[in-house]
This record gives sequence, structure tokens and C-alpha cells, in this order.
Amino acid sequence: MRELSFEGTTVRFGTGRSALTAVDGVDLTVPAGSVVGLVGESGSGKSTLAKAAVGLVPTAGGEIRLDCAPLRTRRDRRKLQLVFQDPHASLDPRMTIGESIAEAVPVRRRRAARTAEVARLLELVGLNPARARSLPSGLSGGQRQRVALARALAAEPEVVLADEITSALDVSVQGSVLNLVRDLQRRLGLTMLFISHDLSVVRYVSDVIAVMYLGRIVEAGPADAVLSAPRHPYTRTLLDAAPAFGVALDDPVPADDPRLDAEAPSPHDPPLGCRFHRRCPIGPLTRPERTICAETDPQPGAADRPHRAACHFAAEILEVPGR
Amino acid sequence: MTAPVAAPPAPTRTRVPAWAGNPWAGFLLRRLGRLLVSLAVLVTLAFGMIHLIPGDPVRAALGVTAPPDLVDARREALGLNDPLGVQFVDYVRSLFSGDLGVSMTSGVPVSETIGQRLPATASLAVAAFVVVMLAAIPLGLAMAVLTRGGRRRSTELGFTSTSAVVTAIPEFLLAVGLVFVFGVTLGWFPVAGRSDAASYVLPVVALALGPALLMARIVRVEALAVMDEDFVRTARAKRLPPLRVYLRHVFPNALTSTLTIGGLLLSGMIVGTVLVENVFAWPGMGMTIVSSILAKDYPVVQGIVLVYGAAVLLMNLVVDVLLAVADPRSTIREG
Amino acid sequence: MGREQWQAALRNPVGAVAAGLLVVLAILAVVAPIVWGDAAEETDPAALSQGSTSEHVLGTDTLGRDILLRVLVATRYSLGLALLATAICVVAGVILGVLPAVLGRRAGRLVTAAVNLAVAFPGLLLALFFAVIFGVGARGAVLAIGLAGAPSFARLVQTNVAAVAGRDYVAAARVAGVGRFRLIARHLLPNIGEPLVVNATVMAGTALLSFAGLSFLGLGVQPPAYDWGRLLGEGLDRIYINPAAALAPGVAVIVAGLAFTLLGESIAQVVGVRAVRRRTVPEPAPQEAAVAEAEPDAVLAADDLRVAFPAPGGGWTHPVDGVRLTVRRGETVGIVGESGSGKSLTALAVAQLAPDAAHVTAQRLEVAGVAPLGRTGAEVRELLGTKVAMVFQDPMTSFNPSMRVGRQLAEVTRVHERQGRRAALARAVDRLRTVRVPAPERRAHQYPHEFSGGMRQRAMIAMGLMSTPELIIADEPTTALDVTVQRQVLRLLKDVQADTGAAVVLISHDIAVVAQLCERVVVMYAGRVVEEVPVERLGQAAHPYTRALLASVPDLATDRDRPLATIAGRPPDPADRPEGCAFAPRCEFADDACRVRPGLAAVAPDQRAACWHPRSQPLNLALDAVTGGQA
Repeated sequence: MRELSFEGTTVRFGTGRSALTAVDGVDLTVPAGSVVGLVGESGSGKSTLAKAAVGLVPTAGGEIRLDCAPLRTRRDRRKLQLVFQDPHASLDPRMTIGESIAEAVPVRRRRAARTAEVARLLELVGLNPARARSLPSGLSGGQRQRVALARALAAEPEVVLADEITSALDVSVQGSVLNLVRDLQRRLGLTMLFISHDLSVVRYVSDVIAVMYLGRIVEAGPADAVLSAPRHPYTRTLLDAAPAFGVALDDPVPADDPRLDAEAPSPHDPPLGCRFHRRCPIGPLTRPERTICAETDPQPGAADRPHRAACHFAAEILEVPGR
Repeated sequence: MTAPVAAPPAPTRTRVPAWAGNPWAGFLLRRLGRLLVSLAVLVTLAFGMIHLIPGDPVRAALGVTAPPDLVDARREALGLNDPLGVQFVDYVRSLFSGDLGVSMTSGVPVSETIGQRLPATASLAVAAFVVVMLAAIPLGLAMAVLTRGGRRRSTELGFTSTSAVVTAIPEFLLAVGLVFVFGVTLGWFPVAGRSDAASYVLPVVALALGPALLMARIVRVEALAVMDEDFVRTARAKRLPPLRVYLRHVFPNALTSTLTIGGLLLSGMIVGTVLVENVFAWPGMGMTIVSSILAKDYPVVQGIVLVYGAAVLLMNLVVDVLLAVADPRSTIREG
Repeated sequence: MGREQWQAALRNPVGAVAAGLLVVLAILAVVAPIVWGDAAEETDPAALSQGSTSEHVLGTDTLGRDILLRVLVATRYSLGLALLATAICVVAGVILGVLPAVLGRRAGRLVTAAVNLAVAFPGLLLALFFAVIFGVGARGAVLAIGLAGAPSFARLVQTNVAAVAGRDYVAAARVAGVGRFRLIARHLLPNIGEPLVVNATVMAGTALLSFAGLSFLGLGVQPPAYDWGRLLGEGLDRIYINPAAALAPGVAVIVAGLAFTLLGESIAQVVGVRAVRRRTVPEPAPQEAAVAEAEPDAVLAADDLRVAFPAPGGGWTHPVDGVRLTVRRGETVGIVGESGSGKSLTALAVAQLAPDAAHVTAQRLEVAGVAPLGRTGAEVRELLGTKVAMVFQDPMTSFNPSMRVGRQLAEVTRVHERQGRRAALARAVDRLRTVRVPAPERRAHQYPHEFSGGMRQRAMIAMGLMSTPELIIADEPTTALDVTVQRQVLRLLKDVQADTGAAVVLISHDIAVVAQLCERVVVMYAGRVVEEVPVERLGQAAHPYTRALLASVPDLATDRDRPLATIAGRPPDPADRPEGCAFAPRCEFADDACRVRPGLAAVAPDQRAACWHPRSQPLNLALDAVTGGQA
């Protein structure tokens, strides 16, 4: 297993008025043998980052490296494997699951070896190897997601990228897939980028948590540190918003506070200065003297701040009450 | 974590031209651009047609018995002895001055022939289109309302199978059938020629019946699809009267595809006139193009192909503009 | 396309007739020229241009040849030329259609643009164009019709390829390192096969008709050869003398064309299978328990509510199977369940918004003091009016895209309170302000697509507030929204509830969301209520399913060092539910008693569970590493 790193990775879609910078100069490292959880809202660019890594969308700038060696060719990129969100869409309905997995096994293997490998992989993800001949339509969502994981592992990847792999599953099935991910990661020492919109899910599997907002990483650090002492107010907002038992809906913010109802800005037209300043609970919305937020982009100095936070006021620790 | 990157973040907004500020201007400009490209291709193809014919088109037109010097003189007159590039420039230049060349057989200017024949064809196509729209939209909507949610299976089956069968019958066969029933057997309507209003009945029906039923089927399917949409459920949750739900919420949203198909049908009908005109001896462009192809009178064919093609392209432009007007999202999505 | 699907296409009466016709035509095409070929050429100077006689049933042509025999013999030529043209069309179309996927981005775009341009021109115009180039005659006509059909076939292939190429499994294959050509051979072509077969069949019909058209115009088959179109053209000149001479070949063309077209369409229908719906009434379910006393202040009271749908194989399925639900005035109740538990359908049935095909029954159903079952649609509209407000899951699709938001809100007041346009719009703006939509005057004049998801959900709530609702039913109102927006919308619902005093039913798959807003939680599984519990007693949930649900979802306090609790198996399909307790196959406490369906029974004050083995130990929600409530 090797280390995956994004350096200044940028992805753009469209031209002219509909142009959109989905990923904007992202620096992120997934250390060998660890799980980095990437969390963010829809439209934050987290899935696009994963697709850029495996070459499904072209990058407009920056470099993606595997142990310092930039990924250029399709062969290079095979060392990264992506598991998709929707297991009903990610398996060819006309191929048996055995064929789907075998297709990803590197071609140098002989036929018999490939069959054996498929059986081994199915067993690894907790499915009966005899099911290699079934079609995806005969499997439940959870089982299909296991097949998708097996297919990713079949390619002998250096890094596995998991893109919202539990969001399309039933609540009662999610848990078992998360357990499998954690179990596989520990047994095989997988290097993994685990993407989800759900902070609780990311928290459960990750060693490092990175938070993405409007195409940028706004905070990244060890999971416990990010969760217990977030340095970016957006992370804090996410923590507050996560539904949890025993935490009332009413927080100390008065009901007429404008930021409660702030709308997320369009990624087509991100705000100048700090991208979060129009929704920020510690920004110019509540503290008019903090004009710097609306004027100066906090991204450049991020590496020197705690948790590499893209916030001018990252030095202030944002206590999370009750946790 | 990686080392800091010195490069400043990439600019996220690219400069766009000033007209882009107005989505309508941008849309119309783009769409006109597309029309011009299409027209250019059409003109090139019409020009190329005569050169793609194997052998000597003039020899073919005048017949094997024609004296060689006559063929040569005709070639010279048509400019076929010039280099290809020069011919093309000449062709385009004369097009701009409204000159479509001269018929090889009659010597009459092609533009004059088209000027005589175009009104007959256009009036036939427009009349048929109006009939299609007036008949198809109410019929399709009514069928959708009657058969929604699997109600009245027999009505649905009757409508879908009748329309499938009638739609599959091409207009010229329908025309023959109509001639036999209403012209020959019953003698109600004239079977050939263009004179009074009665002479329009059979050609228009022959041309409009299939497209009208096809269109009604499409309106029905689209309206049924819209009825399954969430916002129709919202309208029902508002406890609105059914008529209001259908007219305000269902129909406007089924309009987009209806318009798209309507445009395709009209361009199909413009050309469908060729066959119908030949059944009814209708003095339009369709009769002319067929006799010209048979007589190998290439300049006339060229001219008429150009007119048909340009009509179709204009039709598409009109439909696209109407679509943009009807759908508030389209100008934003376009691009 | 599987063998069963072909068989299903043939079982369809239309498909069977079409296939039968094609077989007859094929036999004729082989046999007719051998048997009658010479007789059809025989001229009879004694019988020129005759009508129907005993010797010549359909009469004769100008040279005295028998029309019937000529029509029969022409089958081979007509079909053969049409199939040849179809083959050209399909081959050229597939090549043009797949090229963009094979070529690079730029060259691919060029091909697509060329095809798009060509498609704009009707096939007949292209056919005439090609007929000029290839010359008048059968060969020219075959080429002309084949090539004229190619662009639209190519467009079809391109559309299908693009749809399949956008699927995740193609992306997955690319990520797994599958090469471009293998990708086309293994993933693209097999998955677009069905529509192509269907369309090639329809195309054959079109080619046949077009060919007849060209021959009829004199541009196709040239004498002495003849096909149906040629015969038709010759016959039309003498339609007053012998109508059969024109009608017979016309009928032949139509029959053959229809056979192809209808076979294609019936295959298409089988491919996109539609359930056969019958509008009979399902058998009444056995009455289970006596109807409980109605609570006097209930705004919603449902007893033994059932929603049935006709099953594809006959019979009925019951996605909602005997639900009992009471909501008191001003109460906030959450309904929790997985997809397929019937929770949304319950809400729709209560609001009289169930889909048309659904059959709703209940021992008792009262909504805002109205018993809607058995009344006509007009009565329900009149009685319920604006008493029940709905908030749907997907704010993106729940607004009419072609109508301004303000007008969609104002419509409620205009219809139900007969207010003028201006007054209604002013009220809409006021309501938008109430739900804290910024700049409501401007927003009211915008279209839904100009709103973000959260704002649309606010506007949806505002729509319910155009009048004073007694009950607000919110069906997964935050599922399509981001977490931060979810919180805003939940708070708004809470504020609205406090301001208006309306009862709120919140439906969600997320028990944590429900717990935040509601006083009482109703847990549904497989179409039934399995537990009703006040939110503060969730820690003492009694039903093993509720307990497992609580334990298997990680939250921010889950112990990361222990595996999550899991529930084995998956929820049963509504058509195939186990007898007795539907959860029994997944339940670790299940025994023989569970073969009988348990009813809701009180396990504590205000808490009821449908379980033979209710749990009584408290559940430590912070410590999730328990399986199904063993703690």
C-alpha cells in the first residue's frame, strides 16, 4: 500500500456562463495504510475529486501522485480503485458477478487462477463463492455493494476510494457494510479515501478527517482532533447539524438570526474572500468588524494554521459543547 | 499532509463576452450560427449533388443520341467546364442574387418554376399542419385523462391500436384509399388537381391523418408521464379542481415534447407532400421534383432540394425558439 | 433479449398476428415466384385492362397480365429490397453511432454534429437526394433508402450508447482497466441490443413503405421488373376502371409494413413490461380487533388502514397492511421505517393522495373531522380543502417547473377562498416571509429552478400555510437536503407548529431526525406499525426491530472500536411477506409464537409494541455495540 496525494488538484466543468470549478486547488494526502474520511455537502466536489483521481474526469491543474510518482497513464490509475455510490447502477446487469469481478483481475493471471481469485474475493467480502454465477438482479443492495468492493479489490489496488458507498443502502444494511469496510481495512491494511456526506459515518471509519466546502478542503486533521476541537466554523456547523439523540433542535442561536437561513452559495459563483463568510457564525454576519473574511481568501496561509484550516480565525478553538 | 503550495488558487471565473449577459441574445446568436452552418452544408450538398452523379450529367440528361457539340455547349453554358472551385463560387454568388439556374429541358429559370409551384405546396402543408394541431392536442389530452392510472383499459387499447395501425400506413397509400372511397365510389370530392376548397379535403386528410394520430399518441404519453410527476401530486394536495390541474399543471409541462414532435412532424409533412401531390396531381413542387428527377433536369432538382431543405431548417429554428419561450429553464440550460 | 421475452412478445395477440403474417409473407416470397412467376408474365391480349372476372379475380393490367398473380409474385422483390435497404441502414447507423465512443473526443463530436445535422432533414428528402446521385432504379433506391435511414438510426444508437456509457458500471469497468473496444463489446453493445432489435424491426417496415413510395413515384424499380410500389403506381392511373389494380398492391404494402411495425412495437412493449392492472376490488381483510374508541381530540384517526395494489402476476399486494395511527390535535408524531415499510404510502393514503391504481380501505379513517373514504373526489376536495398541508420529499420535483412560485402559492387561496389575483399574491409573499425566505417579493416572481433546495422546501411549507392547516404531513422533507439545510427546515417546521398549533406528522427513515422534532415515534416495518413510543422512552424501546434500528446507525457518539450492530437479512418484499410477524426471520428472539401475527399491545404507559417477546431492558444509546437489544 502506498500513499496517495493530491497537489493543487483542480477540476473544471463547462465553459462560459455555465463554467464551474468543482474542485479548486485541493491538497490532500492519504497516508499509506490509513483511512482518510472526506466529508462535505452535495456540490462540494468530494465525488469529483475521487473521479479525477481514477481518471473519470480530466483535471485542469495540479497533480495526483502515488508515493511521489505522478499518475499519468491508464495503467498508473489502475492502482486506484473506486467503489461507487449506487450498487444497483455500478454492476453490469448482463454479467454475472463472477464475470464482473474477474474483469478487474489483472490479465496476466491464467483462467483457473482468475476463477480461484474470484472465489477468494467473494469469501473475503462475506459472500458465498457459489454466488459467482448469479446476476446482480438476484442480489440485495448490501450484497451488491459487497460485490463492488470485491471488484475494486480484484484489481490489486494501492488505494481504494469509496464514494458514498452506504448512502444508497437501507438503514438496516448500512451497518454491516461499514463493519466490512473497517474489517477489510484492518485485515489488509488498505489505504483508503472514504467519502460521505454523513459525518457520523465518516467518523466511524476514518483516522483522518478532511472537510470540503465549495471545491476546497477547509479543514483536515486527525479524526478525534477535528471532531472535538474543530478549527473551521463550517466543521462546527456540520457537527451541530448532525442529528443525534438527546440533542435538542433548539440551540442557543436566536430564531431570527440571519445565518440560520443563509442559503449555500452557488458553486458557479463562489463568494470572494472566504467562501463560507456569508453563512459563518463567527464571521462578518455576527461580527461586522471582521471585514477580512469578505475580502481576503483564507486559503493561502492554511498550511500554517492548526488543522490546515482555511479560516482567518482558526486559532480560536470552537468548543463543541457536550461532546 | 502535503507541503503548502505556492501557486495561488486558480481564477474560478472566466471572462465571457458582453452579449452573454443577456441569455436571449446569446441563445439567438448561437442558434442563428447553427442555422447558417446548416444552410452552408445544405448549399454545398446541393451543389455537390450534380458532381457526385457518376458519368456526365449533361450527357445523361440529353441522352446518348445527342450530338457531342450540343453536349459540350450545354456543359459550357452550365459552367461545368470550369474548375470546381470557380463553379462553387459562381453557384453561391448566383444563389445570393436569387438565380437558381435554368432548366435543362425547358429553358425556364428554376426560380420562376419554384415561384409558381411553391404556393400550392405551402398551402397544402400549412393546412395539414393546422388540422394536425387542432385535432391531436385535444384528442391526446382527453385520452390521457380518460385512461390515467390504468382506467378504461378497452378505450386505451382501442385508441393505441387504432392509432398504431393508421400511423403505420404511409400517406400515399392513405391517399389512394381516400381517392377510392370518397372520389371514385362516393364521388364527394375531386380526386385530382387544385381548385376550390373541396379539392383540398382529400390531400389534407391524407397528409394529416397519420401525423395527427401519432401526435395524439405522443401528447397522451407525455401527459400521462407528467401526471405521475411529483408536482401534480402537489397540485392534488392543494385540492385543486381536476380541470385546473390538467390545464395549468399538466398541459404546459407536456408542451415541450409536443412542440419538439410537432416540429419534426411538420418537416416530415413538408416533404410528405411530394407523394401526396403525385397521387392527387397537385401542381406543387413535389410533382415538379419527381418529373425533373426522371427527366434528369438537374438544375430544377437542385433548386427544389434547396427550397425543401431550407424550409425544414427554418422550421427547426422556429421550434427551437418556441421551446425556449415555453420552457423557462431552457435558455439557462442551453450552452 | 431473453427467450422468455420473445415468447412473451408472441403471446401478445398483436405480436402473434404480426409474427404470423411475417411467416406467411416469407413463405410467399420463396414460393410465389417459383409457382406463379411465369404465369404473372403471361400477357393476355384478349383481356386487356379488365376488371374482376372469374378468370382474373383482381382483373388485368394494360397488357392483360393477372393482377393477383403479379401482386403475389412481387412479394419476393418487395421484401428483399426492403430488407437489403434495412441492412444498409442498420450497418451504417451502428457504425456512425458507435464511432463517437471509439474516436477521440473531438472527432467524436464531429461525427455527432454531422449526424444531428442529417437527422434534421426528413428521410424522404434524403432519399430523393441520394436517388438523384445513385440514379433511378432498384439499386439506386436501395442505397438511397438505406443511407437516408442511417442518420436517424445512428442517432438512436448514439443516444442509447450515451445513456449506457453514463452508467456507473461502465465507469467502474473503465476504472478497472477495461480497454475501449472490450468496453464496447462487453458493456455497451449488449446493453443497447434490445432497443436496436426493436428499431431495426420497425425500420424494416419503414423501408418497405419508403420503397413502395419511391417505386410508386417511378424512381424505384424499373420495368420490366415490378414490386408492389410499381404495381400501385400503374394501377392508380386506372382506378376508375379497375380499383383492385391499385388497391391490391396497396393492401399488400400496408399488411407487410404493419407486420414489421407491430411486431417491433409489441417486442418493445414486452421489453418495457407494464403491469396489467385490473380494476377489481381486493377481498376485504379479516377484521382483526374491535375498532378502538376514537380519541375525542384526534386530528387523524386511522384504524386497520390498508393500501392494495394489483400485483403483476394477478392478485393484490398490500404495501400498507393494517396500520393503526392516531394523531392528536397539535401533536408532533414521527413515522420511521426503511424504504418499503409503507410509511410514505400511509401518509398519502391518509391525505387521499394515493396513486390511482391503489385501493385504500380502513375500518375507520378520519382526517380533520372528515371521513373521506367512499366519497367522490369533488366531495373530498370540498371537505378537506386546505385542512391538510403536505410537504414532499423532493423539493426539486414537487413544484411545477413552468409556473412562478408566487402563483403556485396564490393558487391555493384563489381556488379555495375565491380571492383576487392581487390579494392572493400578497398573501403568498407574506407566507414566504413567514418561512423566512429572503426578499419574498422578488422570490415570488421567480421560477422554482431559481430556488435552492432548502428554499424550495421552505416555499413548500409556505404553500401549506396559505390557509390554516390542522395537519401538516411532511414526507421525508429533509432527505434530499444537506445536513445544515436539514436543520434549518426542521427548525422551521417546529416554529410553524408552535405558531399555528397544527399537528405535524414527520416521516423519515432516520430515527435520529424524528427524535429531534417529535413527541411520539411510530415505527413501521413491512407495512405495519411495530411500535409506538414516546420519544423520551426510545431508550426503553421494546420491539427488537426498533432496538436494532437504534443501534445499527452510527452517530457522533458511537464507539469506534466496536463493530456496529447489524440486522441480518433484508426487509421482505411486499408481495412475499412471511406469515405471522414479518420481522421474525431477521429476529434473534423469534420462536414458534411468532408464526402468529402479533397485534399492538401496551408494554408501558403510552408505549405499544407488536411483539410476542418485547424487551424491557433499557438500551444504552451511547453504547451501540449491542446486537439487537441484548444489553
